[in-house]
Amino acid sequence: MEPRKTPLYEKHAENNAHIVDFSGWALPIEYTSILKESKAARATCGLFDASHMGEIIIKGSNALNFLQALTPNDISKTKPGQLQYNVFLNENAGIIDDLMVYNLGGSFLCVVNASNINKVYTHLCKIHREGKYAKPESVEIIDESPEISLLSLQGPESSKVIAEIFGKDINNMKYMHFAQLNFKNKNIILSRSGYTGEDGFELYCPNGVAVSLWDAILEKGQKYGLCLCGLGSRDVLRIEAGYPLYGHEINDSTNPLEASLNWVVKFKKDFIAKDKLQDAEIKKLRAGFIMTDRAIARQGYSVYSNNKVIGEVTSGTFSPNIDKFIGMAYVEKELNKAGSEVTIKIRDKFYKAQISDFNFIKPRTKRGL
Amino acid sequence: MSILKFSKTHEWAKIDNNTAVIGISDYAQHSLGDIVFIEVPKVKDKVKAGSQFGTIESTKAASELYSPLSGEVIEINKDLINNPQWVNESPLERGWMIKIKIENNSEVNNLLDEAAYKDFVAKESH
Repeated sequence: MEPRKTPLYEKHAENNAHIVDFSGWALPIEYTSILKESKAARATCGLFDASHMGEIIIKGSNALNFLQALTPNDISKTKPGQLQYNVFLNENAGIIDDLMVYNLGGSFLCVVNASNINKVYTHLCKIHREGKYAKPESVEIIDESPEISLLSLQGPESSKVIAEIFGKDINNMKYMHFAQLNFKNKNIILSRSGYTGEDGFELYCPNGVAVSLWDAILEKGQKYGLCLCGLGSRDVLRIEAGYPLYGHEINDSTNPLEASLNWVVKFKKDFIAKDKLQDAEIKKLRAGFIMTDRAIARQGYSVYSNNKVIGEVTSGTFSPNIDKFIGMAYVEKELNKAGSEVTIKIRDKFYKAQISDFNFIKPRTKRGL
Repeated sequence: MSILKFSKTHEWAKIDNNTAVIGISDYAQHSLGDIVFIEVPKVKDKVKAGSQFGTIESTKAASELYSPLSGEVIEINKDLINNPQWVNESPLERGWMIKIKIENNSEVNNLLDEAAYKDFVAKESH
């Protein structure tokens, strides 16, 4: 099947991007160099096309209750104009997908992973039909993914670029907050958030204005050293920040506690599989590691201690920003201690590594404005 | 004077009498992206034409390196191990990987000259 093109495809092609098929989408993996783009997003700012991501709207009088029942984080703590990280759980407390929930005031926008749009939508519709948590007529589920584009501008200079387009008031917006704005007579969402650990903005717009918005950001960004960034650097940046990626750190059979996402689990509220999660025996935990030897430890490689397998790598890369080979792995709970020496088997050879905290780069988001 | 030949798996060999220096082509480094890791055999190891002699990793993926010719490794580019970016910066000069003593000179005939390799790449990238 031909991969789908985002409205920005021609822009990427014009810029000689190296385009690959990513979960059925033709997207740039890099424009010039993954390492250069990963550095730019932390030094100045980087612009990403993330239009493959899914947008599902939940509305109706019981929208909040419906979402609360399916997720362990407490969405009732958000005010309109705020977003929250959360996960959809299955009946075994495994993660169906991780998502951002935007409180639109009465309705909610759920931003889900491209590879999981159909799975999540089917899951939501099934629960909806069953009517267990909310009467079917009191909730409406709409998949708006095909109509919406997502642009992401990340890095310390991002707010200057955004202020030039949308005005200086933008500087008052805090991390994990958003505003609905007008751009070319279309309603767009501007949110101070991202997948890099840097200050940054995500912009959701109707497909029809995606190119104009991209061009506007590009034009204003020039003098701030804006760099076009592909998915390769998006992955490096999220690993450096210790953010999980679906299909790597989390999947249908990992639960949020072993994924070290405890902060997302609020046992004070009710949610699907809460009992299972409370009783779950946590045997492994997500950890970070830094290679002592030069080598990339990729997903699936085994982690050893004293000649015994104690874990498995979920992501690995070379980090240009800390100049080390880093990654994340699931490691037996008792052996998951920062500083412990382990080895990782890469193509029949053992390479030394050290267990570490997975926030390799401390967040520089604007939490405390 | 040395002659430059290429394999269809995108390695090059600079052949000088009965020795050859081996690396990967500019096209190969460009499609791999930023090179961050290289693993090559030790001096005195044997390599075989068309068989894997090492591994190269970019930020995107790990790939196998295939030897264009058979022979014994007589030198390796030690500095390259800590400076893998040289493969991107200078694939045909500083990015060389190993030097071998050629075992069978007739294997050279199986390789492409520069013009034929350029044609091959042009076809492959379409």
